[in-house]
Amino acid sequence: MRTLCVWFPEWPLMVLDGTGPGYVYEEGHAAGGETQRVAAVNAQASKLGVAKGMGRRAAEALCPIAESKPRDFGIETRLFEPMLIALEDLIPRVEVVEPGLVLVAVEGALRYYGGEDVLVAKVESIAGPKARIGSADGPFAARWAAITAAEGSQVIDNDIAFLASLDISAVGREEMIDTFRWLGLNTLGALAGLPREAVASRFGDEGLWAHHLASGEDRSINPRTIPPHLAVEAHYDDPLENLDQVAFSARALSARLMNGLRKEGLAPYRVEIEAESGMGKVRTRVWRSTDPFLEPTLTERVWWQLRAWIEQEGVAGGLVRLRLDPSDLSGAGRQLALLEAVGEGWEGYDSTRPEAERALARAQALVGPDAVLQAGRQGGRMPAEQVRWFRFGEEPGQLERDLEAPWPGATPGPAPSLVPPQPTPIDIEWDEGMPTRIRLGSRWEPVLNWAGPWRLLGRWWRGEGAGDRYQIVTSAGAFLIVTDGERSFLAAIYD
Amino acid sequence: MALGCNHQLPRTNVRLECLLMLAERAVERIPSLALSPGKIVGLEGPAGWGLTRLGLSLLAAPSQVGTVVTIDARGGWLSPLAAWEVGVKPGRLVMVRCADRRLWGQVTAAILEGVAAVYAEVPAGVGEHELRRLAALTRARKAGLALRPLRGQLPAGITHLRINGRGVSWEGADQGHGRLLERRLALEVSGKSLPWQAFDLGA
Repeated sequence: MRTLCVWFPEWPLMVLDGTGPGYVYEEGHAAGGETQRVAAVNAQASKLGVAKGMGRRAAEALCPIAESKPRDFGIETRLFEPMLIALEDLIPRVEVVEPGLVLVAVEGALRYYGGEDVLVAKVESIAGPKARIGSADGPFAARWAAITAAEGSQVIDNDIAFLASLDISAVGREEMIDTFRWLGLNTLGALAGLPREAVASRFGDEGLWAHHLASGEDRSINPRTIPPHLAVEAHYDDPLENLDQVAFSARALSARLMNGLRKEGLAPYRVEIEAESGMGKVRTRVWRSTDPFLEPTLTERVWWQLRAWIEQEGVAGGLVRLRLDPSDLSGAGRQLALLEAVGEGWEGYDSTRPEAERALARAQALVGPDAVLQAGRQGGRMPAEQVRWFRFGEEPGQLERDLEAPWPGATPGPAPSLVPPQPTPIDIEWDEGMPTRIRLGSRWEPVLNWAGPWRLLGRWWRGEGAGDRYQIVTSAGAFLIVTDGERSFLAAIYD
Repeated sequence: MALGCNHQLPRTNVRLECLLMLAERAVERIPSLALSPGKIVGLEGPAGWGLTRLGLSLLAAPSQVGTVVTIDARGGWLSPLAAWEVGVKPGRLVMVRCADRRLWGQVTAAILEGVAAVYAEVPAGVGEHELRRLAALTRARKAGLALRPLRGQLPAGITHLRINGRGVSWEGADQGHGRLLERRLALEVSGKSLPWQAFDLGA
């Protein structure tokens, strides 16, 4: 569906007071770098070397006289509201991604205004010279058309050709991008050229999503609708008139919505906020997110929007009704419900978070799929045999050993918590068949007690010999040892 | 057998010397040991003193509501058998292996972004700044994090609760007879999140 993106790159700078050099920074919590990064920078500061994405300390060092402020989405949203109203007068159903960035489906508007050039010109006249406008067949391409528009606007006729030339960083997942570059994939075109199955197999859902983006198959701005009974609404007999009351209600209603969606295994990409004043005036605004909304992120947006309405024009007669209507079903939400909470439990845990699969897919991208594992129980006599490993995200394979079969001679409990992948040679001193000392690293520990031996008959048809198992207790802990009469091996630590 | 400690505790930096039976009972008997959202627990002591099993038992409660992850920095030694035995839901447990200290921080951060709780072995050489960032991320994401340094100690000020192993003794094995049955751990617990109350851990 034809989509228009209107982006004001300097919108965050609206919070700056002065006219000299200045920049706005935002907080992050990345575990690999500085936590405060420059989010937007004005032309004067830019000339002095400050750049978007730079750490705040580096920016201060380059330009100590610059005005710097933290990003304030509340103020940005309030200041953005008149622009949204003006855009909505031109094209209905504008969707806000963040203050200064909107997406809107324009199929109907194109027919109404008689063409893309006319529509873009009208938007330009409203948005002014500081706006960047992109038009393409999907929101991702439209957004990048706006970002890469040298000045004014850029209309893309062929999304796939346009996306193919973009740098791989456009997919926006840092850890995965490093791996893509390491593999020599530097553009979206190179990624789109790979077989989708191969990307999905190596990078999981994250990679699949990146491949869809690179192929121009991102989420449609024409959303699927979540069943209406999942929308939530609150009526206030005593109209809400101050910001504290509104903030509290916004949080409570967001929590109610996300609780309801969670039970259905859903997470919305898009939420319509509708508020009614005591005088009967109804206002609506649609917020959209590139990732499914979580309770905190939704609460923030509802709060920004209500605050913007209240501070911009006021809500005559107070707020008497608030409704949150989610749509644009997240497939990720459905899958994640398999992993995530379905009931109440861990005190205080915000179980609305739908990112477990994504987080683990990111871990897979970093350490490889063979190092992110799940396990199932199977039969066996030794602890190592009783575990069946399989890659996270894949189906468990067939049981190597029947769990239901009797396993006479299985190592008695409790289960050890450390089991080496392969039995590790270990030195033990024996005195007439009784263990007396065990070597742990560079020191010898006296054996305080032991249990066993339990005979272990190896699978002779595989060349395995017989052995004896001992549970050996020292002051440094207890160990499961297997000995074949000549050599001893550490099979587990009861840590 | 009577186990116990019965101390009147100061309001902060509580030191608690007690003997406990099997690790899972520690959390049952002292609820303050449990992981909760945004809380970081440190487990320090050599392998064999019961801290791995105790750490895994901290994942049992969060696994009832969400995904929990262990990060194995020993190269595949962590066994899910003990985790299942202490009450971690098998379908909600994911075990990640990462012994590379250069990747460890990134991997742990990526996982903390999305799961309920993490038990992470900390390989030798991970910097203090990295641990502090992970602590901040844990609080921001309201995850639970149990850190188990494989060598040395955790820097001060990172954990809400620090559990130091002080010794272990086993019962059940008897000069070739019996089998391992019951363990008594000597732990020293310090931290700000212990409530101001006396613990009575009599058997």
